[in-house]
Order: sequence, then structure tokens, then C-alpha cells
Amino acid sequence: MLSYALRRILGMVPTLLLISVVCFVVIQLQPGSFIDQYLEDPRVTRETVATITKQLGLDQPLWVQYLTWIKGIVTEGNFGYSFANGRPVAELIWERLGWTVFLAVLTLIVSWLIAIPLGIYTALNRYGIGATITNFLGYISLAIPDFLVALLLIALVLGAGGTNVGGLFSPQYIGEPWSWPRVLDLLNHLWIPMIAIGLEGVAGLMRQMRASMLDVINQDYVRTARAKGLAGRAVLWRHAVRNAINPLISLAGLSLPTLISGTIIASIVLNLPTIGPYLYDSLLNKDQYVAMTLLLFSALLLLIGNLLSDLALAWADPRIRFE
Amino acid sequence: MSTYSRSRSALALISLALIGGALAAPKKVDGYGPLGVVKGKAGGNMTLALGDAPQSLFYYGVIDNNLGLISQQMFDGLVEFNYSTYKIEPALAESWTISDGGKVYTFKLRQGVKWSDGQAFNADDVIFTYKNMIMNPEARAGDAGNFKLDGQSITMKKIDANTVQFNLPRAAPAFLLQQRYFIMPQHKLAKFSQDGGAKAADINSAWPTNIAPAEVVGTGPFKLSAYTAGQKVSTVRNPNYWKVDASGTQLPYLNALDFLIIRDPQAQVAQFLAGNLDQLNISGAQFPDLKSKEVAGAPFKVIRSTALFGSPPFVAYNFDAKEAGLSKLFGDARFRRAMQGAVDRERIIDTVYNGLASLPGHGVAPVNTQWYTNTRAQLGKFDLAAAGKALDALNVKDTNGDGVRNLPGAGGKNLEFDLTYGTDSSVYPAMATILQSDFKKLGVKVNLKGILSSKLLSTGLAGDYEMILHAFGDQPDPELRKPIWQPGGALYYWHRSTQPASEGAAPNMAKMAGWEKEIYNIFNEAATTTVASKRKALYTRWQLLFAQNLPVTPIAKPENIGAISNKYGNYIYNLGVIPGYNPVPLIFQK
Repeated sequence: MLSYALRRILGMVPTLLLISVVCFVVIQLQPGSFIDQYLEDPRVTRETVATITKQLGLDQPLWVQYLTWIKGIVTEGNFGYSFANGRPVAELIWERLGWTVFLAVLTLIVSWLIAIPLGIYTALNRYGIGATITNFLGYISLAIPDFLVALLLIALVLGAGGTNVGGLFSPQYIGEPWSWPRVLDLLNHLWIPMIAIGLEGVAGLMRQMRASMLDVINQDYVRTARAKGLAGRAVLWRHAVRNAINPLISLAGLSLPTLISGTIIASIVLNLPTIGPYLYDSLLNKDQYVAMTLLLFSALLLLIGNLLSDLALAWADPRIRFE
Repeated sequence: MSTYSRSRSALALISLALIGGALAAPKKVDGYGPLGVVKGKAGGNMTLALGDAPQSLFYYGVIDNNLGLISQQMFDGLVEFNYSTYKIEPALAESWTISDGGKVYTFKLRQGVKWSDGQAFNADDVIFTYKNMIMNPEARAGDAGNFKLDGQSITMKKIDANTVQFNLPRAAPAFLLQQRYFIMPQHKLAKFSQDGGAKAADINSAWPTNIAPAEVVGTGPFKLSAYTAGQKVSTVRNPNYWKVDASGTQLPYLNALDFLIIRDPQAQVAQFLAGNLDQLNISGAQFPDLKSKEVAGAPFKVIRSTALFGSPPFVAYNFDAKEAGLSKLFGDARFRRAMQGAVDRERIIDTVYNGLASLPGHGVAPVNTQWYTNTRAQLGKFDLAAAGKALDALNVKDTNGDGVRNLPGAGGKNLEFDLTYGTDSSVYPAMATILQSDFKKLGVKVNLKGILSSKLLSTGLAGDYEMILHAFGDQPDPELRKPIWQPGGALYYWHRSTQPASEGAAPNMAKMAGWEKEIYNIFNEAATTTVASKRKALYTRWQLLFAQNLPVTPIAKPENIGAISNKYGNYIYNLGVIPGYNPVPLIFQK
């Protein structure tokens, strides 16, 4: 298994290089330059534009810009610097990574914990009233975009006289050391992004799990297991669910890149200190090394997610073997 | 130590203290009764909104509006605006003299001013800031371009510890107005400067956002206390601030001023309604909702103000459009005047701005009584029939009966062009649609072309448009907007063929119409004459020429609208980053 994982990891290098070229080309195809956004400032003259262009290395040919960037990554682990902030990209991403991972992982766990049992329940009781209602709600939450849910929740909280409308903390707790009131304040704010971002995932996962369960519960081996007298609970969990969960494991691997780009609009609306809005800004303003590093990071997460889900599948399903 | 020497040093200390007391001359902020300013109460705190995270904490290192908003509370310039008259008043400079026919400016600095860390402020800080930042062409947010007049540099020198002097190659009456640049502390920034042995461009990397707050030292009413990446900037009262209120109480009244970073304007409104923000500048579109809440008893007030600053939108036609027929028509003042009759200003003011805008001036805000000339008659009336007749007179008629007018001449093409506007704006899209539908009734086909608002200027400068909807901010003195309104100027993008072939060369006079030549000369003359009445006469003539010939067609002057919690007193509307206009020190918590 180790040699398999190693081979897969080595295989990522050319893929990532290719992706970085594509990202660079796409960013360059966007008209205009990073400096355009400053032209309206009365302090900016034509000389200023020329000076800044030179300072940022934008006067060099595109292939030189690209190669310098790649060389920096390979030789020094330097992902370039942000034009806007004048600081190394890696440092800036690191600053925002904590809350991003926290929110993404928490959302993932919560949505799995809710979606899997619901999926099983709706599959087993396909014609029951409870399942019908759950399915209906599932369709609705699939259809409503996450930012709209966020806006509705904000309006709801405001209407009820609440003050926890966006962000992760009340103003007085931002940047303060941890304490019990601060944790409570966090929890008081957290449920809105949890619902807004998680709802769509719950609905999608629930539908997947339901479909996959329906496939499995009519299989011969389930009938056989029942026939030989196994308890209903054992049939369900050891035979049916274990087989039905496979497609979801593959799906989980694919959801890793959403860490960065999944919730841009909801993050802006909810004012969350995550990476999404940062990627959005860098693309809009052509802050090229930030955008490229984030896109590359997102591609890397996809590749790693795939690898992890393959490994997890092999672990969960003895029929799958590394050749 | 002998008794003698001890008493002598005590004497020296006492006399030093006496001198210090006599020299420390705080500025008394007085005379704003008409603006509703009363004596405030010390203490309390306030939270404002920032539209995005600051890119750096060093004002001259990045061009960044959000950094500007914070810097405005932490730094001061030599001079500043009066809150009600917009006249220039002493700030860090206590007084100044202008001599040698307007070529020598000598600033006497306010004595006894201290930086927020207790160090003394003096002429070295001023010289240091001008030399290494403001006049440094490598400083990204410096203003080196303004320190060259006719290709010659402005020089400066220190006369003594409290006096600095600027020598100009020629008289420049707007020079004083420009000296609102924030002064930075030499003792904290020397190591990033050329004076300290660094490269000229290294100054841009001073004070990154992860700097220790104690390093960011200023003379302003507040000082940095903490920055939480992407979430909040906190400042606390600067105990060394150099302003006092009418009764001698030291300003600012507030103990702390926080900025919450919230990108989305709707999210800002939600936070304001929830009481997490205490003041917010809003758009005309958000006004009815907030105002109705105020009327229903919400604990805040929504305040309209016809401020001087702010950007009035205009439409411009590209005199150098790629298609020859359009170019010829767009360059004709009669065409632009005819089309003005199809611009329904009243409707735009009513529907796009919810009535919170007024008719525009021509390059000068109507509230700017010092310079504004009443050009309201030249705005004309919305009258499609008259506009149609004027187009007929230009021989722009519908010759093939397809409902769209044709360019003059046999087999002329349809009069059809693109209108470039910003899609991510609360006003441009609605305005563009109104223009399109009214022009259609006139038989002029307009195709809408949406781009990002931040790309409007670069699109204009590249000449890559036919008709454009855009806005430039108003300033107290027309001289400050010279590159925009002077034909041949760097930002005069509706007639780009008048621009000089190379930077600093003479503009292409041969391409200018008679009125453009006259405006060109007006700006040159007004930039050098020191006689105030003559400048007034010149700029009056410019506004009339502007109104008659419409290099661009101004549409409306939006009002500024702010919402403020009832907890606070002495609120004066503050547009945003206007160096030298900061009424926040007067605000107090009731």
C-alpha cells in the first residue's frame, strides 16, 4: 500500500505542473492589469504605473514571470508574494487557513452525521410520511443557494432582535484570548454558517445515501442474510450500509477542494474570515501569485482527496485491492 | 551632588517646564455650533465598518481606501480642512507664510506635539516624510508627480527644529491645499527609508499587517491597539493628541474606535441594525428601508448631507471612436448637446437615487460656493422632440425607415453604439437602462456593455469604448482635478488624440477645438496666478465652456447619506478618506 501511495503522489507532480500552466494562462487571459484598480487615485501618474509595474516584475515577459514563480516554489518553497499586501503568499494563506479548515471540517462532520442516518431512514421507509417530508425538505434545501439561506437566517435573527448576524464573534470578542463567554459567543454565531453552508451538503448526501441504499437493500446477499436468520440490525449495518457507503467515500474525497472555493458567496454574505473571499479578490484584481497559489492548492487538495478516498475505500471494502 | 548644582538643575527643570507649557499650543476646535457641535463627554467607544481588510498598515506603501480610513484616525498633515467651509486651516503646522511671489512656503510647526509613543514631533519628521515617502517615486502611494512643476522639482529644507520651507520653481496657488499629506515618525520608519540606507522601494514594505501595534506610531486622535487578520482593527485614544474642544478639554472624546471588516454592503446594514456597528455610510437605494425604520422608532438617525466631495456620474462620447462616422459625430458639440436633451436627469434622480441627488455642476459641486458657477440653465430640459429636431438639423435622420437614425451622408450606417458601464455598482446599471430606453425613443440604438467598475478608467484610457458611464470625485479646488478636465491631460480620455505624444511633452494642440484650447489655457493660467479674483474668473469661464460644449455630460450630484446610532453626539457626515477632513475626534458617547 505504501508503494501504491508513493506512486500516486509522484504522479501528482506532472499533473500539478500542467495545472499551474493552465491557471497562469487563464489568469493572463483576463484583460487589464493589477494596477488598473489604482488609476483613479489622483496620486497615480504614468510614472507611478511604470514604477509599480517594474517593482512587481510585471514588465518581464510572461514566461519569465511563470518560471521565476515555479523556480521559487521548487528551490525555496517560496510561493511568491501578494501584490496587494506585499507579503509572502504562504504567510497570508496561513493566517486564514485556521478558520477555513475549522469551518470546513465541522460542516463536513455535521452534515455526514445528519445526512447518513436520514438517507438510510428515507430509503428504508420510502413510502412513509416522515420520509416523504424529509425528502421534500431535502429537495428545497438543494434548490436554495447557500447565500440565500444565509440572508434569510440573518433577516430572521434581526427580526427576533438578535445581534449575531454574521462573522464568528461579537465585536468585543474578536481577537480576545479564549474564555468560556467567548466559546459561547462563537457557538451563538456558528449555527448560522453551519446551517447555511451545511444544508445543501446534507440534502445532497442524503439523496446519495438513499439511492445507494435502495440499490443495496434489494440485492440477493441482503435477502440471503435475512434468510439465514440474521438480526435486522446486523443485516442493515453490516451488510447493507457497509456496501452502500462506498460511493459516498469517493464523494468525500472530491469535496476536499471546496475548503477553498466552495463557499465564496456565503462567506462574503456571512462575513466569515475564510480563504474563499480572498481567492475571489485576488482573481478580480489579478493578484496573480495569490490566485495561482490558491488554485494550485485547490488542485492539490483534489488530488490528495482522491488518493485518500481510494485508500479509505480499500480499507472499507475488502474486495478492492491495490494491483 | 552639591546643593548648588541640585538647585540649579531644579531651576533648569522648572524653566524648561515653563517654556514647554508656553510652547505647547494645542489647536482649539471651535465655532462649529451651526453644525450642531456641543461640548462632549469623555469616554465610550464606537465601531465603524471597513469594506475590506487593510493591505498594509503603512499609508504610503499601498493605495488602499481601507487603509486610508484607518490612517486618517492615526495621522495628521501640516494643514487640514475646516469642517463647514472647507477652507484650509492649521494642523501640524501652526502657521505659514507665502513669499517671493508665491514661490516660497514657510511652515511654522506646532510646538509641543508628541507622537503617540511620547517622542517629540519636529521638523525632521516632516522633512523625512516628504523626502522618503511623498516625493519618493518608488513609494507606491506617494505623490511624487505633484512635486514637479514644468519639469522642475520642488525642493524643501529645514530652517530650524520647528520650521520647514518649500521652494517652488514657479507660483502654484493650489500647493497649500495639497499639504494635507500624513506625516510619519522618523524614529520608527528610518530603517525602511533611503535615509536609513535602504533602497528607495523598500519603504513600501514598512509596517506590514502583522507588525506589532506599538510600532505604528502617529500624531492622530487614535493609535493602533490590535489587528485581527480579516476581522477587526482596534484603535485606542491617543493621550498625546494636540486638539482640544472649545472649553479646553482634550480630544478625542472617545476612548476607543474599532473597525469591523465587513465586505458586503447588505451585511454591513445587518450589523448596523443589530447594533454591532454604530455608524454607516449608505447608498440612496438603502435609504428608504433605514429611514422607515428610523421613523418607526429604531435607535438611530439617517442623515442626508449635500457634501462637497463625492462622485457625480457623467456620460462621455469617444471623440476618437474607431468608426469614423461615430467619431465625427461624437466630436461635434451640437450632437452632444442634442443628446443631452434625451438624458432624463429628473427621472434618474427620482428612481435611481430615490430623490437623494440634485442637478450636477460642471466640474465643480454646486455646494462649493467658493468656485461654483451656476450653469443650471445650460443643463437644458428633458425633451425628446427637441432632441430629435436637433439631430434632424445635423442630418442624422432615419433614411431607411427601420426606426433607427442613420449617420449623415448617402447610405449612412445606423446610429448604433455601445454604452460601457460598471455592472457591480448600485447606480450604473439602472442609469444605463434608462439612457438606453430614452435614446431608443429618439431613434438611437444603444447596446449595453457591462464591465467591472474598477476597469472603467483603464477602459476609458485605452480608448476602448464608444459611450461610457463613469464618475470622478469632486475636490474643493479645480486645480486638484486638472489632469481630468484639462484637454490633453492624462485622464482627459474622451478626446485622447489631444494627449501629448510622450509624458511631459506639449499636448497635441492641432487636434483641439477652439473651446478646448481655451480651457487648456485657462487651467495653465489658473495654476500659476496668485490673484484669487483672477483664478475665480478663469474657473468661471471654464465651467461655462464646459456646460456649453459638454466634453462629458454630467448627470446628477448624489447626496451623501449616513446612519448614526442615537448613542452618539456631534456627528458630522464624513465621506470616507479625505485627508485633512476628520470630524471623528468631536464625536462623543452620550
